[in-house]
Amino acid sequence: MLEQRIVVSNRLGLHARAAAKLSHLLGGFRAHATLAFGKRSVNAKSILGLMTLAAPLGSELVLTLDGKDELEALAATVDLFARRFDEGE
Amino acid sequence: MSTGVLLLAHGPLADAMLATARAVLGTLPLESCALGLTLGETSEQFARRAAQAARSLERGDGVLVLTDLYGATPANVYDRLRNEGVSLRRVSGLSLPMLLRVYNYAELPLDELSRTAAAGGRNGVIEGDA
Repeated sequence: MLEQRIVVSNRLGLHARAAAKLSHLLGGFRAHATLAFGKRSVNAKSILGLMTLAAPLGSELVLTLDGKDELEALAATVDLFARRFDEGE
Repeated sequence: MSTGVLLLAHGPLADAMLATARAVLGTLPLESCALGLTLGETSEQFARRAAQAARSLERGDGVLVLTDLYGATPANVYDRLRNEGVSLRRVSGLSLPMLLRVYNYAELPLDELSRTAAAGGRNGVIEGDA
């Protein structure tokens, strides 16, 4: 199991299109994925779950991955956040 | 699974809902079609259009029909679609959370997709903060 702190760095935060990209990305891995913001923890493969985090720019999230491909899933997720979900800002 | 998704609603609602889901998700993982009941259109005319759409969406795994308002014409024509030889399930109370959840769980068979759509609609209603 892996746990990684990730900061939301795109201007719009974890909004609908970003949540769609993240859930789609993680859906391609077998590892279980949860994302926590404050006291709330959700299935990170669920768009609606991610939306309920309502995480704005600057939020500190904790990603937990558990499964054989957790390392690959982590690298891909960190990359997606670092690319600001390809939103350019 | 290649379940079809048929959105039936009043006016431009179904079209707008599908366009919005496409904008959020990029591409839709299930073949989908949106039909709006127009002012002056009879329920028979709308039912014919809906039946044609349901047949064209059928790929062997059935069609999930999402309607905006239970008891209203777009939902009521469902009964007339059931003689088309297409496996169907209907969920009423169409909303964006419901629709996004359907596409999120696109691999589920029709029965389960129908249940997950209903859960998406219910859980999408949040009073105040989550």
